[in-house]
Amino acid sequence: MSSGGEKSSATTKTPADFLKSIRGRPVVVKLNSGVDYRGILACLDGYMNIAMEQTEEYVNGQLKNKYGDAFIRGNNVLYISTSKRTLADGA
Amino acid sequence: MASEEESTVKEPLDLIRLSLDERIYVKLRSDRELRGKLHAYDQHLNMILGDVEEIVTTIEIDDETYEEIVRTSKRMVPFLFVRGDGVILVSPPLRTA
Repeated sequence: MSSGGEKSSATTKTPADFLKSIRGRPVVVKLNSGVDYRGILACLDGYMNIAMEQTEEYVNGQLKNKYGDAFIRGNNVLYISTSKRTLADGA
Repeated sequence: MASEEESTVKEPLDLIRLSLDERIYVKLRSDRELRGKLHAYDQHLNMILGDVEEIVTTIEIDDETYEEIVRTSKRMVPFLFVRGDGVILVSPPLRTA
């Protein structure tokens, strides 16, 4: 049923497959409230509950840095996107 | 424990379990934050917290200057039940505090 213009990604057909494939990757998680979280995805589940490491919170500009683990409740998540995140040398 | 099978994959809730009896930081809706000791939680992220500090942040906009006045109010609560649907984020306490 794929109309033209789609990449033939044989490995990720369903959202569940996508969720399994992105563990350990840098991701961008946007919440319904508009807040952005960037970090490395540790794990997630079918409710879109998320555990991330080295998480940074962006609201317009950069607000807070959370090091260690951050758990985000799935109902707040608008999307999860992979990113080619460059680790910014902060401190 | 060499390789992880998909049936033993850990969920985010499993990792919250590691924070039991530890102090945690919780971000709630309505611009509220909590810092307290996690005694219990469930899959809804209902939580029991002890020795909790609640920080409420409000932003006022001056009618004349249109500047944003950020105010925070704090209170201490010895024992608290948090309903899970208000929880946004849970994390170990911020080191910069």
